[in-house]
Amino acid sequence: MRNRQAVEEEESEINLTPMLDVVFIMLIFFIVTASFIKEAGIDVNRPDSFTAERQEDAAILIAISEANEIWIDRKPVEPRAVRDAIERLHLENPKGSIVIQADEESNHETLVVVLDAAKAVGVGNVAIASSND
Amino acid sequence: MRRHDIPMPEDDENEINLTPMLDVVFIMLIFFIVTASFIKEVGLDVNRPDNQQQQQVKQEEANILVVIDANDDIFINRRLIDPRAVRANIERLHAENPEGMVIIQANKSSTNKQLVTVMDASRQAGVYSISIAEGAG
Repeated sequence: MRNRQAVEEEESEINLTPMLDVVFIMLIFFIVTASFIKEAGIDVNRPDSFTAERQEDAAILIAISEANEIWIDRKPVEPRAVRDAIERLHLENPKGSIVIQADEESNHETLVVVLDAAKAVGVGNVAIASSND
Repeated sequence: MRRHDIPMPEDDENEINLTPMLDVVFIMLIFFIVTASFIKEVGLDVNRPDNQQQQQVKQEEANILVVIDANDDIFINRRLIDPRAVRANIERLHAENPEGMVIIQANKSSTNKQLVTVMDASRQAGVYSISIAEGAG
């Protein structure tokens, strides 16, 4: 009598193996697709445009604030140090492109500093962020 | 007799308990789902000529030169152009010379809003090769 009950209890346990398979596959999917974008850290007032395109492989976001401060990787960066900062982040993800989030009111001079730094490091693809209407 | 009964529970315990591993895996799964950044950046591509290219560009007179001065005024061919009319002007010049590219020469203290306006207008006019030249004055 006791023996039969024990066998029945064993069989009524849920088989977790298929669920584990599914969970592992989801885990691997999310690890692989995790994109490691370096965010700039501040919100800017983006200029409007009609022809903006999705920047698929954006890896480094650089923001230029209203007061012409440059923000990279959640830290304000001196104009002289922009090149080093880009170089460091570019090494981590050499295929990624740069998106510059320039505030509407920021000066062209600051933008040129960032563009020159990106060029000096050798980042091929640079884009200026804008909002699509 | 008693010893004979024991093997059953032992057999049960011999199976690996998967629950702690499942916990860990679930926590990792949740972590990766949460940290998956769904940033979708939109923007305009910049094509900045290096110095050599710039020399060539200057020699060719075929390109469309758009100047933005310190007061954010836009000039094409030394004429002051309203920001809304930039597209029409570039379209006209592009029709005259389909191979020319747009070169934007912006003053250092001009705002980036105006730069994006010109880039956007040029793309709307169908000219996708845009260069930002060294600011003049």
